[in-house]
Amino acid sequence: MNEQIESLPVLPIKNSVLFPGLLMPLTAGRPSSVAAIDAALASEDKELLIVTQRDSSVESPTVSDLYTIGTKAVVKRMMRRQDGAVNLIVQGVERVVLIKIEQADPYLVARVRMAPVPEETNTEVEAMRRAILELSARAIQLAQPNAPVEVTQMLAENEEPLQLTYLIGSVLGLPVEKEQGLLEAPTRLDALRLLHSYLLHELQVLELRNQINVQAQGEMERQQREYLLRQQLRAIQEELGETSPEQADAEMFRKQMDEAQLPEDVRKEAERELSRMEKLPQASPDYHVIRTYLEMILELPWGKSTEDNLDLAHARQVLDEDHFDLKEVKERILEHLGVLKLNPTANAPILCFVGPPGVGKTSLGQSIARSLGRKFERLALGGMHDEAELRGHRRTYIGAMPGRIIQAMRRAESKNPVLMLDEVDKLGRDFRGDPAAALLEVLDPAQNHTFRDNYLDLPFNLSKVFFITTANTIDTIPSPLLDRMEMLRLSGYSAEEKMEIAHRYLIPRQLKESGLTDQQFVLTDEALNHVIARYTREAGVRQLERAIGSLTRRVALRFAEGDTTPAIVRVEDLPEMLGPERFTFELARKQLPPGVATGLAWTETGGDVLYIEATLLPAGRGMTLTGHLGEVMQESAKAAQSFIWAHAERMGIDPNVVRRSGVHIHVPAGAIPKDGPSAGITMATALASVYTDTPVRSDTAMTGEITLTGLVLPIGGIKEKALAARRAGITRVILPRENQKDLRELPDNVRAEMEFIFAERVEEVLVAAMPDLAPRLTLPKAA
Amino acid sequence: MSLFFISAEAGAAMAWRPAADIYRTPEGWVVKLELAGVRKEDVNVVASGSELFISGVRRDRFVEEGWSHHSMEITYSHFERVIELPCDLSRASISIEGHHGLLLVRVVTSHEEER
Repeated sequence: MNEQIESLPVLPIKNSVLFPGLLMPLTAGRPSSVAAIDAALASEDKELLIVTQRDSSVESPTVSDLYTIGTKAVVKRMMRRQDGAVNLIVQGVERVVLIKIEQADPYLVARVRMAPVPEETNTEVEAMRRAILELSARAIQLAQPNAPVEVTQMLAENEEPLQLTYLIGSVLGLPVEKEQGLLEAPTRLDALRLLHSYLLHELQVLELRNQINVQAQGEMERQQREYLLRQQLRAIQEELGETSPEQADAEMFRKQMDEAQLPEDVRKEAERELSRMEKLPQASPDYHVIRTYLEMILELPWGKSTEDNLDLAHARQVLDEDHFDLKEVKERILEHLGVLKLNPTANAPILCFVGPPGVGKTSLGQSIARSLGRKFERLALGGMHDEAELRGHRRTYIGAMPGRIIQAMRRAESKNPVLMLDEVDKLGRDFRGDPAAALLEVLDPAQNHTFRDNYLDLPFNLSKVFFITTANTIDTIPSPLLDRMEMLRLSGYSAEEKMEIAHRYLIPRQLKESGLTDQQFVLTDEALNHVIARYTREAGVRQLERAIGSLTRRVALRFAEGDTTPAIVRVEDLPEMLGPERFTFELARKQLPPGVATGLAWTETGGDVLYIEATLLPAGRGMTLTGHLGEVMQESAKAAQSFIWAHAERMGIDPNVVRRSGVHIHVPAGAIPKDGPSAGITMATALASVYTDTPVRSDTAMTGEITLTGLVLPIGGIKEKALAARRAGITRVILPRENQKDLRELPDNVRAEMEFIFAERVEEVLVAAMPDLAPRLTLPKAA
Repeated sequence: MSLFFISAEAGAAMAWRPAADIYRTPEGWVVKLELAGVRKEDVNVVASGSELFISGVRRDRFVEEGWSHHSMEITYSHFERVIELPCDLSRASISIEGHHGLLLVRVVTSHEEER
């Protein structure tokens, strides 16, 4: 065509391409662009060159940053903005080729040659035009199903294929490279082909998107339909005069709320939740969360309590019926009942039963509940390591539940039950929290009238609850917790007590279990004693009850098989019925060689007798200690040794022996760990015995802590130790003077049978233990 | 969605269309076009059959040294208008005159008969 050449100001644009014949709104902010626009507007024709930048991030493009084919355009409208930028509407006029840049500053001026796309009309162009029209009609249908038909028609009316191409190309939202490709197409046919491929791609994308939309819509519609059906169901029910399940639920709760004596704030909260629940459909998960919560509130004993039976005589009778002995514990319990009788508003006490397993801590709790006429609930705390187990989870968690305390209160159905927290010494503790800390709140009378469970989130009054905790040892109970409780010790039972317990409770209970009568089964006292001594070793009576249980079952089997002669179980029958004896006693050794002394130990299952052996090592030096001894016990041994060495002469010990030979102390059995200071005087006695070559009396056991100056200090566990000594056949026990008061704990017969010697100084111990040594011993002046 | 936003103006050709009033006169026709600022020399009128092709360019000549645009609403550049009249124009005489921003195209058809 005509080789027209002219110079035009250049306006580089980003991210889009202006096609000839089309309008485009633009905003120009770059100073060079604004200058170019000003120049164009200053001309009579208002013409400039619009070229697309290859890279939209370039701020001041040079010729290499621009495509070489652009569009000559006319400014149609222009508007300067406050910030100096310019809004304008331009219309493409003609495709041009950029020949060279004539000026770069203050704005680009380019020399361009008009490059219109040559006219061409043939059947292929026409075929392509129709194909494009068809594709675009489909695309419109997909993109905007309710677009007016005129749009399609308007496209079809556009006879000029190139204009059609540009028009569709500009509205497809193609990437700049593709739009530019469309502009650069050398012939109409090329342009049409390019557009055709773009349209096809666009159509695929649209179809895929539509497919996704349809799927999503299907899902939505299913839920929608379900919801609608439910609404209809409700409408039908209302029409029929039936109430909807939600309403029925709400009605029921409202009625229950009126009946339950809820405190004001609880009632308010419950009503708020109820009105929330009413607004929810039954299918909503929240509905059930609230429902469970309301049920929980209604089941809790907010105002219900049982009447206390404060008849002390009755209480005493019940306690005595259920438990043998335990005089001191029973007195303390009765004292508390007495207080409750005089002052009914007094807070219930918090007791802690400490004692070995099987001594009846749990059943004592039950008896207290029975004597008071209160409900009894038991919570095992052993191994609990999560605070949330006690205090519950907040309701926002899925599957949240109230804590064990509140659950126990619900089971108790009264706000003043006896709540037994078992195994409080076995509470765990880890990173998830410390349940002992939660217990502090529960067990503090100053705080527990507003105990707040995380789930309930309402204050619940625990101050009327009679708390009883149990523990095997107080060592592992955190001290703030220990501080809140009143300690009651239940020590082990003696053989006589066990006999009594067996006769009163265990045998009748086992007979009942096995379906026998007391005529059909008789256990002789000797046999019972033998079972206690040889088949069990415990402070409590659990093993004993099991052993009696296997005896009664044996007999029951015989009866069931047809032999109905009453069974009398004697000592001789035991090996056959219970198997070989399980425990051999550390019976008192008949004769002790010099260097061996009898000590007494306290264990969790009661007391035990232990022998301390000392021997001289003629070629050795110093002292060797063996027998798995703890640090305190080793230090105690060293104190004993130092005392003996320091006062060797006063005790008639040859100083040369002390100087020349070492000494070895061993405490059997070697595999059992031992610790504590209470073997101090025993070790001193063993040392004195081995150095003086004097035997210790074999009927004498001793226990007590020793100091470096030879004082004998008091120790604990007197009752268990005394019982162990007696069981082993020992008749004399040397104890620290200050432990004299503890003898009260012992049964009368034990006190009568045994001889107790009280010592203040080691010398007194030695005299009592080794009468032969007495003449050789010089007592210190102070004694 | 701007995908198929198609403005009427975008679909039109590159030239703009001035507004026109058409009068029947005793001599023939007068077409009054709203074409302010267009000089007679820049207008081209061609008759063909019953159609009148009016085309031209509006150039912005009224700019003095030191002025710069603050905003622009007047459309310059090429305009084009096709007017169809209900008679044959092959023998009509056509004249143009400017009149205070209006361009009058006089078409005299009954010239010869009247003489």
